[in-house]
Formats: sequence, C-alpha cells, structure tokens
Amino acid sequence: MSTKINKVSVISFSLVILAFIILNNLVRGDWGDLTGGFGNLVKFWNTDLWPPEWALIFEAQSEPPKCNVKIEFFCSKAYTGMLETLKMAFVATIFGFIGAIALSSFAAKNLVPKSVLVPTRLILSFTRCLPSIIWAIVFVIIVGIGPLAGVLAMTIYTIGYLGKLQYEEIEGINREPLEAARAMGLSHSEIVSKVVIPESSNTFLSQILFMFEYNVRHGTVLGLVGAGGIGLHIDRAMELDLYNHVMTYLIVIFVVIVIIDFLSLFIRSFVTDESELGESSIFTVLLPASLAQKFHQRNKKI
Amino acid sequence: MAKPIVKIKNLSVGYNSPLVSGFNLEIKPGEIVAIVGISGLGKTTLLRTIAGLIPKLSGKIIGNVRRRGGIGYIPQRLGLVRHASVYHNVELGARCGIKVNDESGNLLNWSNRKSVLIHETVKLVGLTEKINEPIRRLSGGQQRRVATARAIAQSPELILADEFLSELDKENADSIIRLMRDYVKNNNSAMLLVEHHLDRAKQIADRIVDLGDFEVNLNEEE
Repeated sequence: MSTKINKVSVISFSLVILAFIILNNLVRGDWGDLTGGFGNLVKFWNTDLWPPEWALIFEAQSEPPKCNVKIEFFCSKAYTGMLETLKMAFVATIFGFIGAIALSSFAAKNLVPKSVLVPTRLILSFTRCLPSIIWAIVFVIIVGIGPLAGVLAMTIYTIGYLGKLQYEEIEGINREPLEAARAMGLSHSEIVSKVVIPESSNTFLSQILFMFEYNVRHGTVLGLVGAGGIGLHIDRAMELDLYNHVMTYLIVIFVVIVIIDFLSLFIRSFVTDESELGESSIFTVLLPASLAQKFHQRNKKI
Repeated sequence: MAKPIVKIKNLSVGYNSPLVSGFNLEIKPGEIVAIVGISGLGKTTLLRTIAGLIPKLSGKIIGNVRRRGGIGYIPQRLGLVRHASVYHNVELGARCGIKVNDESGNLLNWSNRKSVLIHETVKLVGLTEKINEPIRRLSGGQQRRVATARAIAQSPELILADEFLSELDKENADSIIRLMRDYVKNNNSAMLLVEHHLDRAKQIADRIVDLGDFEVNLNEEE
C-alpha cells in the first residue's frame, strides 16, 4: 500500500517538476516579465476598468434598434446583447443536441458496425477539432456579421462536442435492452428512440444543461468575431479602448452565468441515476446530484 | 406434419473458440424446450446465437419465423428499459406484434391496434394498475411479468428466454410459467429456454436438453 502511495507521489512530483521545466523553456528562461506584472494590473484596474459604466445596464441605448418598453433596463445594450446571446445559445443547444443524437447513434460501437462507426466519428472529430470561434469566423464569411453566424457556429460545435459525449454514454448502456430490441427486429431509429434515449435520459438531460451553459459562455466570445450577442458590444468597446464598458459587460456575463449555473444545478438535483427525487430545495442547489439525493432521502426518512 | 419453428443442424457457437459444437435441435409448433447444464457450458451463448445476436461459428439455423417480431428474446436480466414505464416496454413488443381486429372484425388503425394490444397484454399479466409505473419501481416478479408481456405482445413464433425464472418465488414462477405455456400452446408458437434449475425446467418444458450431454439426450428423442 505504502509503496503504491510512494509511487503516486513520485510520479506526481516528477510531473510538476517537468511542467516547470517546460514553462521555463517556453519563457526562454526570462522570468522578468512577471516582475511588476501585478502593479500593471492594479494601474489598469484603477485607470481603465473601474468604475464600470452602469448606464450600459440601466439606460436605454441611443443607437437603433429603438425600444418601446417603458423600463429602460430592457432597452439597455447589456440587456439586449445578453438576451441575444442567450437566444443564440438556446437555439444552438437544441439544434446541436438533435444533430448530436442523430450522429452519435451511428458512432456507438454497440449500435452500428465499424464501417458506419468510423466515418461518423471522423465527422464528429472534424466538427470538434475547430474551436467554435473558428467556426464563427467561417460562418461570418458565409452568412455575414450577426447572430445567425453565431448560432451556426455553436450548433456545429455542439454537434461535435455532445456527439462524442453521447456515443460514449450510449456505449456504456446495458447490453440487454439493446439485444432484446435487436432480436425483436426493431429498426435502428426505433432502437434509438425507444431504448437508447430513455435509457440515457438522465445523462442526456445533464449534458444538454451543461452544453447550454457552455454555449452561453462561448456565445459571449463569438461576438468578438462579429457573430452577434453581447460579445459584439465587447468587441466594439475594446476597439474604442472603453475598458470600463468591457468591465460592465463582463459583470453582466458573470451574473448571468452564475444564475444559469444555479438553475442548472437545481434542475440536475432532480436527476440522479434513480431519478427518485420528489423535490429539491435551496439547500441542495449547490450540491452534486448524488449528494442532493442523499439529503432528500434523509429528509424523507425523518 | 407441421413444419418446425426452428431447426438447428450441427451448430457450433462461441467467440473465438467453440463453446458448443455439433448441436442439433428441432422445435415443433406448440413445443417448449429447456436447455439445462452447469454454468460455463455456453447456454447463454447458444441462445444469443439462435437469436441472431452473435454470429455462429458453423452449422445451420433454419427458422420459420417472421423477420420482424418473429423472435421474442428475454435475456437473463430481462432487458427492460428501466427508466421507462410498463406501457413503454410492452409497446416495444407491440410495435412488431401481429394485426389486431376490433370486436366486429374490422381492422383498427395502427395506433389504436397497438394501444389495444398493449392494454390487453398488460391485463393478461395482471399489471393494469402499474401500467404507467417506471420499471425500476417494480419488484423482481413484476419485472418478469413485464418481460413476459413484452414477448407476448410481439406475438412471436419463437420465444427465447435465458434463465428468466431465476430468483422468483414459487407463486410468481408458477404464474409466469402458466402464462408462457398458455401463449405457446394457444398460438402454436415455440419456446426455447435456458434454465439452471432442473425442477423448474421440468415444470415448464415439454422436452429437456442437457447441454453437457446433449447428444445422448437428442438420441433418446429420436
């Protein structure tokens, strides 16, 4: 036992040392860049980032499109930009999820032969190997600047990313329901819709929530290349060196991501392997699903 | 003389090397055959090969069954969709079940036919009250009833069951045996099951094949 621990410690320590050696090689031995770095950050913070431009959140934007809502917040740049990002992420997650299900069912080795599996996995790898920002540049060239390019970029990336997670999940499902369905003579689409999806529904729900969070985070970045959403405002503010505006948008993004994270955890706390949770509560929102389940079961017994 | 439902000639099954070699069997309509033998002889592999789930090494399997729905396969752990309801699971079988007529003999539309078939079959196995319950909330005996209902709803010519009576109390086992026997006898179907307990095998089957000594047993049949 102790020999095993020692081995793990030695390997871990060696990896950390190796990482430092590689880092030293990357900076070519010149660590001078780090000296004074924190001072620069403080100066940048005091002169450019703080205080944020709160008017971007609480005042209606002056440029079109004009907004007819009475409360100015709903016409602000931050609100409209963030809402657009959320819409883009939602649409991309839904379409990406459907595309991923369709492709992943042809990439799982317990559903299809190798001759089908290999080309499908290649397609999924290709969509995944380009980051969503590169896809955004491609689609900005094809369909022009705007949210459609962002939606298409995120959809393609979602297909590749979720597709991989899904076929790995499908390969892990119990063999017997699939065999029973296959022996019956059910078609591929029937097996996917009637056996695979219900068997993996908990994991798929978890994945879709995770992917929505991911797409919201990335949707903010995609704006930088003209693919719409709040990122487009950040890009414009950076071009004009208005870093306090950038700070405002980053605060909005942070708040929205935290809210989505809470909602996602809340929904996921209902979903466990057994899906037996009758209710969730504020106390379990921050807990992982398995711990939340234990909490609820303990409460039920009481 | 009625055509056999399945005729197996000189069959060898296994993964890389044969687990079972030179296996011969013929099952006639209305007949239930049980394969018995100690663990590790290849009973499950044999059944999965007959179900078409793994390729045979050599020999012939001639089945007189429909391509879709002709074989009802009940694996050892039943192969039910655990997160779905009783209705959903029986529906899997009903999708490839035969056509159902209404009381006047008219053909109902597909969706209605399916629904009628599912409700009738669930009633047959005594689970009407549990029809919307997810499988994971059912007891072992109830889950076996669902697997039985799924197979029956499919109206298969051949049912293949792998130790599906194991871990059942006598009452539950008796009722499932009765359901299966009634189905096979009334529909001129056939059943091939793998059973670990010889007593249960004798209770359900018309004929027993001992996989450890099948040649002698088959010779006796001849």
